[in-house]
Amino acid sequence: MNDNEQFDKSSNSQDEYEKLARWLLHVLTHSPQDTENVSTNEEDTGAYEVVTGDEYHPQFYRQLPDFIMALLRNDAKTTVHYAPLLYHLAGCTVCHSAYLELYDALRYAVKSGEKAQSINYGRRSLPDGASVKLCQLLINQAEAVLRQARREHIDGEAQARSLLQWAMRVSAHITQSGMRARALHDLVRVATITDNLHTTGQQELATHSYSPLIGASGTRHGKVLRKADTLMRSTGTPAEQAMIYLQSSHLEGGIIQREGTLELHLHDLDEKLRGRYLTISVPLGSLIEPVRWNGGNPRSILSVEPVDKDGTLITPLGQTDLRLSNPDERNLLEVMFLLLEVRPAS
Amino acid sequence: MPFTAHDLRYHAEQTYATLYAHLNWHAQRSLGEFKHDQVEVDLVVGHVVEQLLRLGLLGGGDRTSLTVLDGLSNAQFYAFLNRSIRNKAIDRLRRKRLLMTYAIDLEGMESTETEEDILNEATENLGGAPPFPTPEHAVLALASQQELRNLLKHCIKVLSAAPKQFQAIILEIEEFDATDLLKNIFEELPDKDLLASRGEPIANISQHKDHAHKKLRHCLQQQSTNLTVIVALRLTEYRVQSTRPDEFVVDMQTLAQQDLTESDVRTGLNQLVAEGLLDWHGDSVVHITSTQMKQLTRFYREE
Repeated sequence: MNDNEQFDKSSNSQDEYEKLARWLLHVLTHSPQDTENVSTNEEDTGAYEVVTGDEYHPQFYRQLPDFIMALLRNDAKTTVHYAPLLYHLAGCTVCHSAYLELYDALRYAVKSGEKAQSINYGRRSLPDGASVKLCQLLINQAEAVLRQARREHIDGEAQARSLLQWAMRVSAHITQSGMRARALHDLVRVATITDNLHTTGQQELATHSYSPLIGASGTRHGKVLRKADTLMRSTGTPAEQAMIYLQSSHLEGGIIQREGTLELHLHDLDEKLRGRYLTISVPLGSLIEPVRWNGGNPRSILSVEPVDKDGTLITPLGQTDLRLSNPDERNLLEVMFLLLEVRPAS
Repeated sequence: MPFTAHDLRYHAEQTYATLYAHLNWHAQRSLGEFKHDQVEVDLVVGHVVEQLLRLGLLGGGDRTSLTVLDGLSNAQFYAFLNRSIRNKAIDRLRRKRLLMTYAIDLEGMESTETEEDILNEATENLGGAPPFPTPEHAVLALASQQELRNLLKHCIKVLSAAPKQFQAIILEIEEFDATDLLKNIFEELPDKDLLASRGEPIANISQHKDHAHKKLRHCLQQQSTNLTVIVALRLTEYRVQSTRPDEFVVDMQTLAQQDLTESDVRTGLNQLVAEGLLDWHGDSVVHITSTQMKQLTRFYREE
């Protein structure tokens, strides 16, 4: 074979590779709509992907440092060993841009890292703004882990749970209630993702869903607080601080503490609930475990008495060593009660 | 040292405030005249914290796999963090500069070139562009490397279980004029009947294409697929003629050499069995008939 023939063959191959590359790019890059709006047909064997616009992919993202280091070491087998990752990077802009960022940072670390030092900043506490951001990142990360677990049929609950627990503990130290509410905005939705996936449709819907008025104090929530004051006076609760105020649409209630026992007070419950026992569910109650729940399951706490003729229910929820009178501990308990559902006991 | 990668993985809650202080300090240094803009500082710090979470390092404990980041020296790890912060700060400064240039253009004023020095200094490159700098470069690498093309051929072959989707994809490859790939597939496809209806119109073709794309993406991004293709290729490379005629043998250790574990090899072999390309029952030696070897060679080995 002469030089011209060799050149022709190699330039033909290059041309072929470019055509194939164009088709590959067409297959690998897809918009979220492409994947979401596909209807099933007889040849489809199931859903392969459910992606959202800016979603990243933990299983690939976490391979990036090792992949990059193999490239930096000029390991001949890198592309073959990481072929699935390379196919993924060609189609995922989020993971590809992370690859570029990490490549630069790792290359810098390897080539000139020995000069870098850290300054001793002493003991620090986080500003509220930083805590809010951290909570949001942790909750987002937990969501990504749970969604990946769903796609890959793997167990991501332990990791997601650990991230959410961390977010809950961080949020307890945020002093400004508005910022705390912002930090925890997606907590309930993410913490109940698994519940929603496992719901078979047979479970009875909650009759009422309560959530706390985070940081309810002073005069802004006048009506609620007046009610709460009445409630506290009637139960002999000494301090305004020692209560978590709950609201569900027009209904109100609260949680007080009698020594170690957390006690739920609900008012103005519907006629149809009066005279009936209720099942109380605290979905986030199983995330952190400072409370020994009545009956052992925070998703199914049976009231000890039926709702009275005035629509009032007073029932213990569980025992805890945390104190509502301690601001940080109160905040942690309040997070746990971000969602409290009641339904008639069957 | 105030913190290490190990601390971030196993004692994240206790270490986070120090990490935040470190990142905050470097973000302020890198943001030039915006160092007092706390929104910008938080954006830069938040980006790196998010990256550490996504990598499974921050708070990952034993629940996520260790990576090379866990093995960096402390100095290298700080360099990694500092560079990450700096890169994000540059990104923010560039965006700000674009906005300012746009505003200046609108107002007909001259640029003050405030951050020029920072940006010029910041863009120093330590050894050229990275491999696969764009998706286009990545697909070209995938198309031009034989082992990576094998993965694609394998996935297209798997697709033949759904004839309409397979035909829709063949049609699409024809439209893109990737004739070499088509030729290979046609030559190597065991079921030639699939090609009989080539050229006939396909009802709901876009739907079939869409499903086929999904399946291809899924198949191409599976490590098990990659193992199947790697093991198939190694079977053809490391085969030894058996004492019995028309039979080859390869032992497990030979297949597992270099970068594969025995478990990886087993995954690949099981998949080849499932695809009807091999009879193997978990023995330490793989027996391959000459017919099977012919099929494997035809499909996974380009001369």
